[in-house]
Amino acid sequence: MRKVKLGDNELEVDLTENEITFIKNNLERDPTITELGMFDVMWSEHCSYKSSRPKLKLFENAEENYDYVLAGPGQDAGVIDIGDGYCLAFRIESHNHPSAIEPYHGAATGIGGIIRDILCMGVRPIALLDPLRFGPLKNNPHSQWLLKYVVKGIADYGNCTGIPTIGGEVEFDKSFQNNCLVNVACIGLGTIEDFKHAPSRAYNPGDYVILMGGSTGRDGIHGVTFASRTLTEESEEDRPAVQIGDPFTKKLIIEATLEAIKTGYVRGLKDLGGGGLSCALSELTGDGGTGANIDFNKIFTREPGMNSFEVMLSESQERMAFIVKPEGLETILNVFKKYEIAHAVIGKTDDTKVLKVYDNKNSVVNLPAKALSESPTIQREEKRPDYLDDLLSQETPNTIKSVKDIVYELIASENICSKEWIYRQYDHEVGVRSIIKCGDGDSGILRIIGTNKFIAASVGANSKHCYLDPYNGAKGNLVEVCGNIIASGAKPMAMVNCCNFGNPEVPESFWYFSNSVNGMDDLCKKFRIPIVGGNVSFYNEDDVTHTAIKATPIVMIVGIIEGEENIITLPFKQTGNDILLIGETKPELGGSEYHSIIHNLEGGNPPIVDDEKINTTWNFIQELYKKKLVRANHDVNKGGFLITIAEMCFKNKLGANLDFKEINDEKMRIDEFLFSESVGRFILETESKDYTVIMNLAKKNNVNIDKIGILISEPKINIKGLITNDFSLDVEEMEKLYRFTVPNLMEI
Amino acid sequence: MNIKIAVIQFPGSNCDLDTLYVLNNVMKIDAELVWHKQFDGSKFDGAVLPGGFSFGDYLRAGIIAAHSPAIDQARQMLNDDKPIIGTCNGFQILTEAQLLPGALLQNDSLKFICKWIRIRVDNNQTAFTNKMGLGDILDIPIAHGEGRYFTEKLKELEENNQIVFRYVNESGEAEENANPNGSLENIAGVCDLEQKCVGLMPHPERASETILSPEKTVHGKLFFSSMLNFIERNVK
Repeated sequence: MRKVKLGDNELEVDLTENEITFIKNNLERDPTITELGMFDVMWSEHCSYKSSRPKLKLFENAEENYDYVLAGPGQDAGVIDIGDGYCLAFRIESHNHPSAIEPYHGAATGIGGIIRDILCMGVRPIALLDPLRFGPLKNNPHSQWLLKYVVKGIADYGNCTGIPTIGGEVEFDKSFQNNCLVNVACIGLGTIEDFKHAPSRAYNPGDYVILMGGSTGRDGIHGVTFASRTLTEESEEDRPAVQIGDPFTKKLIIEATLEAIKTGYVRGLKDLGGGGLSCALSELTGDGGTGANIDFNKIFTREPGMNSFEVMLSESQERMAFIVKPEGLETILNVFKKYEIAHAVIGKTDDTKVLKVYDNKNSVVNLPAKALSESPTIQREEKRPDYLDDLLSQETPNTIKSVKDIVYELIASENICSKEWIYRQYDHEVGVRSIIKCGDGDSGILRIIGTNKFIAASVGANSKHCYLDPYNGAKGNLVEVCGNIIASGAKPMAMVNCCNFGNPEVPESFWYFSNSVNGMDDLCKKFRIPIVGGNVSFYNEDDVTHTAIKATPIVMIVGIIEGEENIITLPFKQTGNDILLIGETKPELGGSEYHSIIHNLEGGNPPIVDDEKINTTWNFIQELYKKKLVRANHDVNKGGFLITIAEMCFKNKLGANLDFKEINDEKMRIDEFLFSESVGRFILETESKDYTVIMNLAKKNNVNIDKIGILISEPKINIKGLITNDFSLDVEEMEKLYRFTVPNLMEI
Repeated sequence: MNIKIAVIQFPGSNCDLDTLYVLNNVMKIDAELVWHKQFDGSKFDGAVLPGGFSFGDYLRAGIIAAHSPAIDQARQMLNDDKPIIGTCNGFQILTEAQLLPGALLQNDSLKFICKWIRIRVDNNQTAFTNKMGLGDILDIPIAHGEGRYFTEKLKELEENNQIVFRYVNESGEAEENANPNGSLENIAGVCDLEQKCVGLMPHPERASETILSPEKTVHGKLFFSSMLNFIERNVK
């Protein structure tokens, strides 16, 4: 932070000397104190993406390269055309810093913000998904406190607004001890007409600018600059930078906004999030090629005596800016009156391309509308961390533990066990669209009423893998999340991501970011998956210990399933059916839960993604689906395929006879074979009568496939064919371990 | 005759559209969404108070909505022998308005709970249960943070047959493990003395289509078909 003197005033800003000079040269004068504050906010890392933008160029042009992409990166949300006149909008965002300081309101306002992003695309928000990261739970009251209140914050906000939380995932790792991650994703559904009615632009001079929703208060001033710094001991003092949410008002805003759009009089729409009015007004006019004249005194405030600096920078929640056709003003105001939502006409657009704010006759802001959104970018240095060689060369030690004990330990471990304690607190059914219940499928699945289409959505990342190899790790994340979508019966249609990294000024941290972006870009291009939006959260780094979080490039994929009969769930269904393992198992224990839980190791060889193999596997699975040969499918994730099989046994209390005699012909060590987290694998349940057909198809497609066993009615997993003695795992006992880990840690 | 049902929309209702959808599209009933301030009970044959967080559940769940003019209309409808059901937040509103006995307190786990549970029909004579069998077990989901039923007049309720539903296990027993929220006597729903007004915490509208139902049952429909039956019988 540096102090800048302007006349009699002095302001502390995060802007660099270069940036301040750049601003002065551009304006050919000194900025006012309010203007400087606006630049400070808009050019923060959080708003301007100044470090990440050069790299994110890779993701551009989704609209041009994919005909079904209606809105791509740079907009409030990505939007895709899903046919039948409908479109989906979706986005993911981070609310890490506020949640680390004030978990309840931090998480709640994260939900509030992502809902607004979707709403301002003109569509109804219909689902939420939340990937979370904390330090380990065990013996760790701080993490328990964070988890408890983050989940409560999400639940209280999401439940009240009537938007179901249909998915999410959690990792616990010590690198998140002081920097928890709270990423929030939202999906919206509407007609393409609705979307077209509400661009986030003010294209026409002479339209009214209406501010609607919550009043503007002193809360959340400088929230984004706070999010663009590392957390320090003093960060507790930034708690006033965390906003307070009001889900009830948000619910009214959702209904009023959708009703207003239906009138046809709304010409532009923008939510007030990070950067508050500064951001909303400058983006509406700057991107629309217009200007605006704003009367500062019309802006309704929560308390008297707020000055223009505070008002323009406030990040008070639950506010929307509307651009309205002159002839529709009364109609729109009547909608807001019906819902008893505070609102005010605060100005008009014009053709000056200048954003002007007046306090009575005094000009407090007079800036070219585009100036705020055109921050200079910064080319960051990147450097591969020196410690990686040592980590990658770590070898798996021997263990005296039996395979059975290891499986029991893994299934009860924090990263693998059931997250029911969390999702029971989320209303995942409101909206009568959620047709697969939490825990029953690899993806959240929503029906689209009035069509025969279903939306599948999944989020995730494996930070342990990314820590060892961000390029393959990021690719692996995509393969895993796409795997969830494919297992459910959908084809991945589009991706958004949320890149959570350390301080970009540290070359090692930037290297992780840069390589993760490369990985995502390569895989998405290869598989023709458009990247339609993203968010970058840097500075997830502890200033005291100088440790960054493990790289966490979260990806969210949505896909569409045509026809209810094509939805596949994960529970095993029928005794006597075959259990098939699809995909190649390689000795890739690096970053595995096995290494972490059993050996307390972070290193080793992490999974490498073989694009070609993944491609053939996915095509094969989709062919099996087309031929209706699959009864259950679950993609192999943390802990390896035995864990996958156990999870599939739980719901219907089935068991399995597994025989590995002919399978492990590469002669990997037993632990490598059983607990490797090689990506792109699936466990399928198929009928024995179809065995030959399936094997022939696999051969034709050159896919790795093994029949590893059959389903039995007794809830036991009996394993033979390993060099150890034959042994048996008790499904009911494993389910207990799986279900009660989190409650046992949280309900003290 | 053309039966018309109102789904009353309070600010913060969030199961209003779901309920409307089920009434119109699944039950093929002529139902209409009505803003609470514009609700005129004389134009309808029955009404549903849907779930949600009316007025944000600020102060206490349901209490602000209980003072809406819509409640006066509802009271008048009951006087006119028209059936009214409140589900989840609607139930909370009806108890706060004292159209139904008792109160809904915070769940004993102190957490919101969303899951499918089972309830047993302990009174099949009401306007919303007359198509059910006594002792029938229904699959139905709950989603609430304040659903722990409490009353100081348990004996009275029992004597007047006002306990309509109890949370039960697979065998139909109202035991402790089957009680998701700590409700007194596992009570999930009650009715008024005349059995025309019913309130329950579970969501019938989420249990009316096989596609949404884990057990492929559609027990939620029975509430609405009972309502129709009651109205038709009343007219005759």
